[in-house]
Amino acid sequence: MEAASIAHAATHGDHHGPPAANRSSRVEAQLLGMLLFIISEVMIFGAFFTAYFFIRIASGEQWPAPGTHLPEAVAGVNTLILVSSSFTLHWAETSIKRGNRFGLKAGILTTFLLGCTFLFIQINEYANIGFAPQDHAQQTIFYSLTGLHGAHVFIGLLLLLIVTIRAFRGHYSPEEHRGVDIPGIYWHFVDIMWIVVYFTVYVL
Amino acid sequence: MLNPLRSEDDAFRALLYVLAVFVVVAGVVLVLRAIL
Repeated sequence: MEAASIAHAATHGDHHGPPAANRSSRVEAQLLGMLLFIISEVMIFGAFFTAYFFIRIASGEQWPAPGTHLPEAVAGVNTLILVSSSFTLHWAETSIKRGNRFGLKAGILTTFLLGCTFLFIQINEYANIGFAPQDHAQQTIFYSLTGLHGAHVFIGLLLLLIVTIRAFRGHYSPEEHRGVDIPGIYWHFVDIMWIVVYFTVYVL
Repeated sequence: MLNPLRSEDDAFRALLYVLAVFVVVAGVVLVLRAIL
C-alpha cells in the first residue's frame, strides 16, 4: 500500500488535488465559455430584432403608434454614459496590464457606477414614458427589446461588482488578469448591443 | 484580423468600429429624412 502511494506520488510529482481539466481547444476554457455564451446571446437578440422589424414593417400599421413618443435625447445621453463605461473599463484593463492598481480600481469602480447610472435612467424612463407593454404590439416590442438589454446590463453589473470587490481586495496582477478581461468582453458586448438597440429603436 | 471575442482589447476596438458605423448610418438616415 505504502509502496503504491510512493509510486503514485513519484509519477505525479508534487501535484495535489484533481487532475487538470481536459483541454481540446487552442482557446482557453474561460474564453471559450464566454465566446459560446455571447454567440447564443447574439441569437437571442436576433430573435428580438426580428420581432421588432416584423411589427414595424410587415404589420403595415402606422409607426410609431399614435400617442407614442420616445425620449431620444435622454436615451442618447444614456448611450453616452454606457459607451463611456467601456472606455473606463478599457482603462482598468490596460492599467492592470501595466501593474497600475490605482487605475484598475478607479476604472472598474467608475465602470460599475456608470452602469448603475444607465440602468437607473432606463428604469426612470420606463416609469415616465407614458405607455405600457400591453397597450400595443409596438410598445410590447419596445419594452421587450430594451428590457432584454437592461437584463444584460444587470447581469453585467453583477459581474462588475465581483470584479470591483476583487480588485479592492488585491486580486489581479499584470500576469493574471483574466478575471477582468473576460467580464470586460461581456460588458463591451452589452455596450455594442445597446448601440444597435438605440439606433434601431430611437433614431431610425 | 479583429476578433472581438479574443480579448478585452479587441472587444473594445470592435465597440469603437460599431459605434463609428452606426453614427455614419444614423447620420445618413437623418440627413435623408431632412431632405426628402
